[in-house]
Amino acid sequence: MEKVLSRFMELSTDPYASVAKWKEDTGKKIIGCFPMRIPEEIVHASGMLPVVMWRGNEAVTLGHSYVHNFNCGLTRSFIDDVMKEKLDFMDGMIFYRSCLQAEEVPSTIELNAPPRHFLYLYLPPLYPGAVFRDFLIQQLKRMKENIEGWAGQEITKDALNNSIEVYNKNRSLLKRLYELRKRKPGTIRAREMLAIVHSSMLMDKEEHSKLLESLLPELENREAIADGKVRVILTGGLCQTPHTAILDLIEEAGMVVVDDDIYIGSRYFANEVTPGDDPLGSLADRYMKKIPPDPTMGDWKTLWSDYMVDKVRENNAKGMVSLLVKFCPPHLCYYPDIKRTFDREGIPEVMIEVEHEVVSVEQTRTRLQAFVEVIKGGA
Amino acid sequence: MVQEFKLNRLETTRLMGPMVDKHWKELRTAKERGEKVAWCSGVPFIFAYAMDMKCHFMAGYSAYCAGRKAGEHVLEIADSTGELPDTCSYHRMHMGMAEAVKRGIPVREDVVLPIPDLMIAGRVCPEMSHYAEALYRKFGIQVAGIEVTTPYQESDYAVLEPYLERQFKEILIPTMEEICGKPFDYDHMREILRVLKKTATIRNDCLEYFKKVPSPWTLWDYGVSLAPVIYLMGKPETIPYYEKLRAELEERSKNNIPAILPEEKHRVFWDGWLPWGFLGHFSRKLTSYGANPISGRYPWEMFPRPDLIDPEGDPVHTFVKALYTGTMLGNNMAKPGLSLIDKIIPEYQIDGLIFFTAKSCRIWKSQLTILEKMERKYGIPGLCLEADMADPKMFSDAQIDTRLNAFFEVLEARKEKRRWV
Ligand code: SF4
Ligand code: SF4
Repeated sequence: MEKVLSRFMELSTDPYASVAKWKEDTGKKIIGCFPMRIPEEIVHASGMLPVVMWRGNEAVTLGHSYVHNFNCGLTRSFIDDVMKEKLDFMDGMIFYRSCLQAEEVPSTIELNAPPRHFLYLYLPPLYPGAVFRDFLIQQLKRMKENIEGWAGQEITKDALNNSIEVYNKNRSLLKRLYELRKRKPGTIRAREMLAIVHSSMLMDKEEHSKLLESLLPELENREAIADGKVRVILTGGLCQTPHTAILDLIEEAGMVVVDDDIYIGSRYFANEVTPGDDPLGSLADRYMKKIPPDPTMGDWKTLWSDYMVDKVRENNAKGMVSLLVKFCPPHLCYYPDIKRTFDREGIPEVMIEVEHEVVSVEQTRTRLQAFVEVIKGGA
Repeated sequence: MVQEFKLNRLETTRLMGPMVDKHWKELRTAKERGEKVAWCSGVPFIFAYAMDMKCHFMAGYSAYCAGRKAGEHVLEIADSTGELPDTCSYHRMHMGMAEAVKRGIPVREDVVLPIPDLMIAGRVCPEMSHYAEALYRKFGIQVAGIEVTTPYQESDYAVLEPYLERQFKEILIPTMEEICGKPFDYDHMREILRVLKKTATIRNDCLEYFKKVPSPWTLWDYGVSLAPVIYLMGKPETIPYYEKLRAELEERSKNNIPAILPEEKHRVFWDGWLPWGFLGHFSRKLTSYGANPISGRYPWEMFPRPDLIDPEGDPVHTFVKALYTGTMLGNNMAKPGLSLIDKIIPEYQIDGLIFFTAKSCRIWKSQLTILEKMERKYGIPGLCLEADMADPKMFSDAQIDTRLNAFFEVLEARKEKRRWV
């Protein structure tokens, strides 16, 4: 068990060598997908490896000649990595139009250091009307055709359905893991959970599922350490990896994470895809799901804050920790509403601002401790 | 002795203030006359105009409010109601205004917005989605959601045009019909387009005068004159305005009268938003160096290809064509923007590039890359000014002064090498 976990941890904290090695071992191509909304199944079905692009593991230096220092950490660090040629092993990159900061990345990369294969997609927001789904399908077709060209092979319906199954299986395993954590909080540490989900974004899905299958029963037997801990859920980190140091601080302050609403967490594996006769249509259906709400898309009737309140209640949690990525407008815009809603509902919430380079450990620790005291005082 | 420069203001631009004020006043008082009101982000406000609704336009209102020096106050209201400072200042301004109206917080009368009957969310960025959601939530206002996609590259126009056209026809028009209780008025939309076409055509004549050395007008003058080709579109008085402007420019041009007295020393390109809240402020700063901003990307966004507008055909179709093939949307994107700037620099004989970067709006893509490529290609110096279009708290004036000083020193030193004169 520890071996599998440490492999996940290693991959998550330093993906470069392992991802490149996978390519070397298999002779297959690596395609980077911009976080959050790209249906990786289409890449998977072509026999290439889709990996979700990640926030780098060093401070941004060279990248600052290309991107402003008031962009979010993910975009800055990704551009920095590309400019430092750390991602040269990627054969292709797929981007799409999400938030304004994310849109900074594709053109900056294409104009300065174009990858061998490059694709920019227009994935629509969640507005009512058939036109959005139709347009999405058109874009998915475009994606499929491009990928076929890159891979030099056709993506058959069977192959796509097979990839859908592979992804569904991985999703259901991750879900089981999350259920285990809900049942026995503290069995899996927050940083471990992060590494497990993150690894799924970085390695071959079937291999990841195999590892998860071996890990699950062993984790069942692990001792829970949640006695007397304050149950919380995490939200935020829209498309980037939270700092493990912050996750540790949350636990050190006396909290236990019972569930989350973060991208490198439950958002990644939410909702399955129904395989069938029209697999692109099925992928579109998953994309168009309104839950979990996505603040980079916008659907004015499904409120993100309500979803969070439900999540807290469902989990019998005592509070929520918002990991707010510095300079992330989609989260920043919604935050006042989240705050107001939580105040109104009388649920304690604390916001921790996270930045790529700096984690102000002492300040964060103090805030988290004070937060725990508030919860305990109110209990 | 240090040379003193001053702006030689145009007479015609003085006529714009009253036109703009009238527009916002009509919006403010629409409810009293029983008229329907919409708020709109992005360009679809033309659909509301066609239905005789009074319609606000997010960027236009923000520029107006900031220009009237009320922006700071409205932003303070937003801050006090919990909005976070790193979000778009236009977005915050609207959140602040909505809260003020809802809670009865006093705001200066000339910038108050009426609560709309409809929110047209012409979504360009997630901030606009949020803004629609907040209005829906705060006031229960019906929302018509449209995605106005910025094109990554020119070759994508063909895919994006039918997408937007369908959204207008299947979502926006039926919603307008429902709200207004009458069929969509295609003829009125045609009329608006006829006027817009004419106004934008004369405007294009005016833009030609920027090519003259010295230029008879500045980008600041043009900024003041933008409303007729955007939210004042379709108003008949916009045509005589531009005719007057053209005549005045012709006159100045014939007599070699420059926009900066006693002489235009540096011809600069101004990228990004115009700093609406601080137009006078920045114009004074640049003028003090004898610098004339004579071109930019933002001002070129407003229907640069009126020749493509065909009001006699399908007005929705032609409107969409004007937006994409007509290169109105997309200048802010890196690839179309780069081609545009590459064309402008030699055509307008640019000496230096000032890239204005709004900290709270990142819609101008890859500015640092474009700046670097153009500096290298044309051997002209460039400067990136980090500030904001409306929020004074987002930048430091002292820092801007230092950077402008250094920039103009370089320009001065290279003056001998100016290839345009
Ligand atoms: S959603 Fe937030 S974290 Fe993701 S790219 Fe946009 S600004 Fe960055
Ligand atoms: S972020 Fe920029 S594009 Fe979006 S609403 Fe604000 S000013 Fe407009």
